[in-house]
Amino acid sequence: MLVFIVRRLGTMILTMVVVSILLFLLLEINSASVAIKVLGPYTSEEQRNLWLEAHGYFRPIHIRYFDWLGNFIVGNFGDSIRFKVPVGEILWPRLANTGILGLAAMAVVIPLSLTLGVLAGMREGSKLDRVISVGSIVTTSIPEFASAVLLSAIFVYYLDLLPGTSSMSDGFSPVQLILPAMVLILYDFGYVTRMTRASMAEVMTTHYVRTAVLKGLPYRAVIMRHALRNALIAPFTVIMLQINWLLSGVIVVEFAFAYKGFGALLLEASLNQDLYMIEACAMVAVFVAVITQMVADIGYTYLNPRIRFA
Amino acid sequence: MKKELKDAHGKRIHPYVPELCEQLREGKVDRREFLRTATLLGVSAGAAYGMAGKILGTEMISQPAQAQETPKQGGSFKVSMQVQEMTDPATYDWTQKSNVARHMTEYLTFTGPDNVTRPYLAEGWEASDDLKTWTLKLQKGVKWSNGDDFGADDVVHNFTRWLDPKVGSSNVGLFASMVDEVDTGKKDDKGNPVMGKRMTEGAVEKIDDHTVRLNLNSADLAIPENLYNYPTAIVHRRFDEEGGDLSKNPVGTGPYMLSEFQVGEKATLQRRPEKYWGDQPYLDEIRYIDHGEDRSAWLAALASKQVDALFEVDVTQIDVVERLPHAVLHQAVTAQTGVARMQRTQAPFDNINLRRAIMACMDHQKLLDLAHRGKGAPGENHHVAQIHPEYAKLPPLKQDYDLAKKLLNDAGYKDGVTLSVNVGDATGSWETDTMQALKQQLEPSGINLQLNKMPQTQYWEVWTKAPFSFTGWTHRPLGVMVLNLAYRTGVPWNESNYSNPEFDKALDVASSLLDVEERRKAMVTAEKILQDDAIIAQPLWRAVFTATDKRVKGFRKHPTNYDQFNKVWLA
Repeated sequence: MLVFIVRRLGTMILTMVVVSILLFLLLEINSASVAIKVLGPYTSEEQRNLWLEAHGYFRPIHIRYFDWLGNFIVGNFGDSIRFKVPVGEILWPRLANTGILGLAAMAVVIPLSLTLGVLAGMREGSKLDRVISVGSIVTTSIPEFASAVLLSAIFVYYLDLLPGTSSMSDGFSPVQLILPAMVLILYDFGYVTRMTRASMAEVMTTHYVRTAVLKGLPYRAVIMRHALRNALIAPFTVIMLQINWLLSGVIVVEFAFAYKGFGALLLEASLNQDLYMIEACAMVAVFVAVITQMVADIGYTYLNPRIRFA
Repeated sequence: MKKELKDAHGKRIHPYVPELCEQLREGKVDRREFLRTATLLGVSAGAAYGMAGKILGTEMISQPAQAQETPKQGGSFKVSMQVQEMTDPATYDWTQKSNVARHMTEYLTFTGPDNVTRPYLAEGWEASDDLKTWTLKLQKGVKWSNGDDFGADDVVHNFTRWLDPKVGSSNVGLFASMVDEVDTGKKDDKGNPVMGKRMTEGAVEKIDDHTVRLNLNSADLAIPENLYNYPTAIVHRRFDEEGGDLSKNPVGTGPYMLSEFQVGEKATLQRRPEKYWGDQPYLDEIRYIDHGEDRSAWLAALASKQVDALFEVDVTQIDVVERLPHAVLHQAVTAQTGVARMQRTQAPFDNINLRRAIMACMDHQKLLDLAHRGKGAPGENHHVAQIHPEYAKLPPLKQDYDLAKKLLNDAGYKDGVTLSVNVGDATGSWETDTMQALKQQLEPSGINLQLNKMPQTQYWEVWTKAPFSFTGWTHRPLGVMVLNLAYRTGVPWNESNYSNPEFDKALDVASSLLDVEERRKAMVTAEKILQDDAIIAQPLWRAVFTATDKRVKGFRKHPTNYDQFNKVWLA
């Protein structure tokens, strides 16, 4: 297990290094373009050269890369072009905001989809299974931008019940979290439900469950003691991967409701060519992706003895 | 096409004059302001007095029935708008930045929603006959928020920093007549000297504590208008010494002070407790809330009463606004436009017949109807709008496919040609819609127009280099301002690389005439040359829109999207 974790850590670091090189080459190799992004398109060449010289852009590329990487490792991402403050001052609160939104969505998605998935998978082909399966497919098929518009039309314009945006400009307001969370729940619960249902249905056809039923154990005990634990291994991995999806997948939702989260920040940084912010956001997104992947792998290995002892 | 308005003597009346009459009738402007504005728009003093007498003489009896509401003091006014960094007013490149700052830092002049420039921090100005010397008389008794007196030293300091290349202000281009091209002492890769711009020695002169003189290298008619361009807000004389960051050290002469500021989130302005030097504003607080880039989110904020006003409403959102029971739609007639400009230094646009063939395919009214719902005015391919005081009407342009095909044939494209135009949607999706409509109009002639859609920022990186691009241009109060900025030989924003000595000469003449009628005559030549050289296909002039809650009073949409809420109040 230890070797497995060390190997995974090694792969993670290697991935991060490769991504950092690619990012640096993509965004910083053309120093003239960097100066335009920082100073704006209306500046003269003379002004840009003065800035490039002052910021060490005339040094060899490999020295610039190692300097850049070193700063990154110690958390110095540079100053945001758009916000005019250190990148970290904006990035971490935005990451926390996305965490709050993700938590709110997951607090509903996980119990709801596990319950529905188990109920559907317990009796595959039943009326309940069909209703849940069709419902899951329909909600997952509606893209987030469409459900955001639909929910806004109903709850903001027609019923006049909920606030149309979630900027939290007067401080945190739970009511402003409802619409973006609803969109995420609508989109995500169907997927997790379907995965749980498939896993549960598969477990229900295994010999040990059939044996437990045949030997006369109460149905409830069969489900709770024998089927459920094994059926939840696959959903666990899926849920772990949803954390990664939430980080960058919420762009549409945050954009539509003006929620000040990580996804919206990434989009704003790209639209405004906020170079150092894009670099930091990309590295954080990759870091979260590899970490969640590693945790999912380790968790899956731990939960599934067949892999653990293989 | 709008019919040209004329007075009893057959003289053209500025299109804004009827609106002004309406405002006088409704009591929105007083008699004095009406007379002043009307005369600035080219109406003779006698005619202006006649108009005012006629309107007030008949309407005065019914005036009590139309009594205006009494403005209420106080309240917090919330506006949905992107909140961007606003470090240094001289380097602003977005109107939104200046909108927050405009309530703290003020300008020497003020160009109102009616397109007329009036005194502001400068109580008046005098120009020499040759328009090369401008004397600015500054207001007395104006205090900075730090207690200092405002005066000539502040103005001299601002001009000096605007024209210092280290500051990086676009004002260098705006005040080109105060700048010299000098050798920086550096060499480029090929060993050629690198040239830079420096303020001409003696270009700004302090005469006394409240008088400043500008000594220009060439005539410039638009100095008062330039002084309300958004990067010309006046900062304190110690702005640079005290950190050079307005958001951290918000010292200004305006009626509000910054109490809260977070880029991308919000900006809050509180009314200053001490007496303001101008008319006291009504609002206690102005709050800008950033709802991101999605205009649907802005509208949703207004719909759910999270804000009282929006920065702008897209033309495609008008129907939704009109259905909101508590919202009011505001429209401004503007000189905002888009030009599909061609660089005649690059093939295939070096061929004048090809360029003229494109123009021959255009039906400007249809383009306006298709791309902007008919809201605005048809373009005329010369970038001078009907609302510009010196606008000269040329014979109407007609769509002529036979001519277009003949010109294409002469250009060597007998079997048609495929062209690619860059579109950046920098001022909204109407840009793409306009090019789609143009594409349809070009097709029958055999021109296949392909749209190369680019991200906004990428567009601006190549906007002066690409052979064919559609660029959105904002409103400017004078026609000569925009022609000097965009079509004079060698100026930085000459995106079409246009160079025609005859045009420059015509523009010189127009730019040196203070008399509007005379300038209008001179503009005929300049406009005609631009049309004949066919370097811009200009489909339309667009109206701009915004929406406010019904409880918002005294609000008027500015054609340049400038905010100044000194007269706004909440019912």
